[in-house]
Amino acid sequence: MLGSSKQSEAHTLRGATDRPALLTIRDIIEEMEPLATAELDDYLNPSVLAVSIDDGLCGAEEARLDIQWTTQDDYKYHYTDTEGVNIRWGSHPHGGDYIHVPGLEHYHPPPTASSKPDEVEKSCITQTPEVLVTRAVLKLWRVAYHTESYEPLNAGSNPP
Amino acid sequence: MNDRAPPEEFADINEAVGEEWVSETTPYERIRHIIAHTYSPTSADAVADTARTAPKTARKHLNTLADEGFVKTTTGEHGGTLYRRSPESLVVEQAADILEQLSTDELATRIQEMREQLNEFQSEFGVDSPEALAVDQTNQTLSDSGSPDSEIDSETIREWKTLRRNLAFANAALSIGNAERFVDGDRRSVDDSVPV
Repeated sequence: MLGSSKQSEAHTLRGATDRPALLTIRDIIEEMEPLATAELDDYLNPSVLAVSIDDGLCGAEEARLDIQWTTQDDYKYHYTDTEGVNIRWGSHPHGGDYIHVPGLEHYHPPPTASSKPDEVEKSCITQTPEVLVTRAVLKLWRVAYHTESYEPLNAGSNPP
Repeated sequence: MNDRAPPEEFADINEAVGEEWVSETTPYERIRHIIAHTYSPTSADAVADTARTAPKTARKHLNTLADEGFVKTTTGEHGGTLYRRSPESLVVEQAADILEQLSTDELATRIQEMREQLNEFQSEFGVDSPEALAVDQTNQTLSDSGSPDSEIDSETIREWKTLRRNLAFANAALSIGNAERFVDGDRRSVDDSVPV
């Protein structure tokens, strides 16, 4: 899959892909983000909700968000754009590899969505339900989009 | 192209989206939303916490949802009621969604493909289920004789579990779709003779 460089076994999401959750996430995105179109990669046996975005961050013309969600609420939201910038919010066990991440929720920063143990950050998104994680990702993306900066993506706030 | 206004200021993203969600939905909608994808038994207090409602409100709505068959209840270790999504209700919901998109013919073809894929997993690894495969793996690791070659990608185990779950939804959709053709008396079609 896009951007999923070889990772250790300990980093696999727990549980089967949750089709019902992906459908809910699709509906939230379609309702909230006018620039986005969301579609399951395979309608009957999906592994990813593929979201096309008609614009990108910091000068990119188009972008994609690939979303995975499991029955155990592990997830990956992977952003990539036509400028080759990659970013990923995730929540899954990492066997303590990410030294700055005490819990499950983490953030792979741009431009490569780095998986280096000392570069992965603690995520500003700390709630579990897919409705709130999805709303948070969309809002952070919107702030970054309007400020033309990657900084807000994991800042967790939008100061005046 | 679209230049919707930038998001308002906020100090914490979690609070910001939580408050928005609360302002746009009723407590009942939030509880239904949360329990819809809660697959392991959970207390009303925990659901209330996530859904940003009072425990009493959560309990009331969860009990209504249980009466309607959307939620299944069990008794926890300490005698309290625990709630989770009813698997039956989830299967019916997914089947209905699938039938809106695919004809029963298309569905039958895809199910055949998915069954073949499932058989491939079974014959490739020599076990019936992804759980059996995981147990095999653990035993090999414990016996210290596992060569690197025998390591099966945990992503493969996940794909297998996903396929099995989605095949279950698809099978339910096909059964319901076929049954409806013969139960719905007003929609008597000319192809009554087509074997199911």
